[in-house]
Amino acid sequence: MTAGAAIALADVTRRFPLKGSREGVLALDRVTLDVRPGEFVALLGPSGCGKSTLLRMTAGLDAPSTGTVRVGGEAPAAIAARQGFGVAFQDHALLPWLSVRDNIALPYRVAGRRVDAARVAELIALVKLTGFEEAFPRALSGGMRQRVNIARALVLEPAVLLLDEPFGALDAVTRRHMNLELQRIWTETRTTTLLVTHAVEEALFLADRVVVMTGRPGRVAQDLPVPFPRPRPVEVMREPEFHRLSDGLVAALEPEAAEP
Amino acid sequence: MRIARDPRVLGLLGTLLLCLAWEAIGASGLGGFTWPPLSRVVAMLADPDRWDLFGRAAGATLSAALTGYALGAAAGIVLAVLTHLLPPLAPGADRLAAGMNAVPSVALAPVFLVLLPAGGTPATLSGIGVMFLVYVATASGLRAAGAAHQDLFSVLGARPAARLLRLELPAALPSISTGLRLAVPAALIGAVIGEWFGAPRGLGVLIVNGMQNFQIVLLWSAVLLAALLSLAGFLIATAVERAVHARFR
Repeated sequence: MTAGAAIALADVTRRFPLKGSREGVLALDRVTLDVRPGEFVALLGPSGCGKSTLLRMTAGLDAPSTGTVRVGGEAPAAIAARQGFGVAFQDHALLPWLSVRDNIALPYRVAGRRVDAARVAELIALVKLTGFEEAFPRALSGGMRQRVNIARALVLEPAVLLLDEPFGALDAVTRRHMNLELQRIWTETRTTTLLVTHAVEEALFLADRVVVMTGRPGRVAQDLPVPFPRPRPVEVMREPEFHRLSDGLVAALEPEAAEP
Repeated sequence: MRIARDPRVLGLLGTLLLCLAWEAIGASGLGGFTWPPLSRVVAMLADPDRWDLFGRAAGATLSAALTGYALGAAAGIVLAVLTHLLPPLAPGADRLAAGMNAVPSVALAPVFLVLLPAGGTPATLSGIGVMFLVYVATASGLRAAGAAHQDLFSVLGARPAARLLRLELPAALPSISTGLRLAVPAALIGAVIGEWFGAPRGLGVLIVNGMQNFQIVLLWSAVLLAALLSLAGFLIATAVERAVHARFR
């Protein structure tokens, strides 16, 4: 474990029980990963490689079979208990009976803290939902719901932001647009972030480092620093270097396909 | 053709047919002399000289049913929340509720009659029926919150009280409102049966008196009035249920 890491996963193994098998299914095999404070790391991998399980462990929703998970040197549950996490999952998990404003204010109320109305308004403006404060989630488009989701994740200024395919259910155009927005928002906050995704371009565009995982069992296959300076304009995605790195990541994701 | 397929039109048509059949059987004497035509039953209900009698009876029944409904619903919700917060209690509470529901109220009524202070039986029987339905609906509703919402509350560091008040109870409201709708007829049935076995006044008393004194039209009038009250309550509860479902789902 590196001293001072914001997130430290050390030798993490996870087995899931399986009927008729004594040792179960090995989902993660001795994964070690450190995220520095203020760093944006993307976990890239095919579905079933255990990347979501790693994120759930970081959030304290799951525990490793062996190995340790530390966030800021503490157990994830301790961080969660004092609202140190901001999360946005693919399922937006907005409460259908609360307005946009009340959904974004929810973390305050769950924590038993007084709602900072100015902060909520600031986040509504940040995710460009001004005018929709009183709308209910069912009246919003998929992209707008994910903006609310992101705003709710950021409202308490969390120490660590955990994103699990937050734009996975969106169409390609909305998704690209949301990536631009997230990059703009992140550049303003610089929160330590772990993003789980299976989209190569999304990972390269957003992250400081891309960690590639392979599946069955999940292992770290590659750890790639992203060289593009911030703030990154959308044109970055058209640079030859972006395409070269992108091709390399695709090959790392599918070693079988790259062989002749 | 489209009008004919509208369920409301079909429902009205069916009700009308039923009323016509009732009238025809009664008027022709096909059902014997204990089957009066609907028009005579309605005429008795519409007779201003009888309004005092029917009004007091319906008032007593309604008050017993409402008392039972309110207390039974509150008890059902409280019991479901308690078993939700203390899961070891759940199997026992489930069996107690099912057991109480399995005993017919006709069998319970004489027991309550000797156990309870005078006049308490209708509201008690009504409350027991309501409590069972509302308990089952609330208990299942409290488990209705989705896994994604539960995960969110865990990561936000929610304590059990915050989770209950801000997630599980609101998520349970659609199910609770359905239980409350289904409990309306149960409340009225409990009150009427309780009155059969002993109450100073009420529709149940009118029904028993009509039966014993062979006042066939009076008997039918009291039954029709009880059915109409139940239907009215059911329609109000349906409207509430719709509103809750629209807001909380």
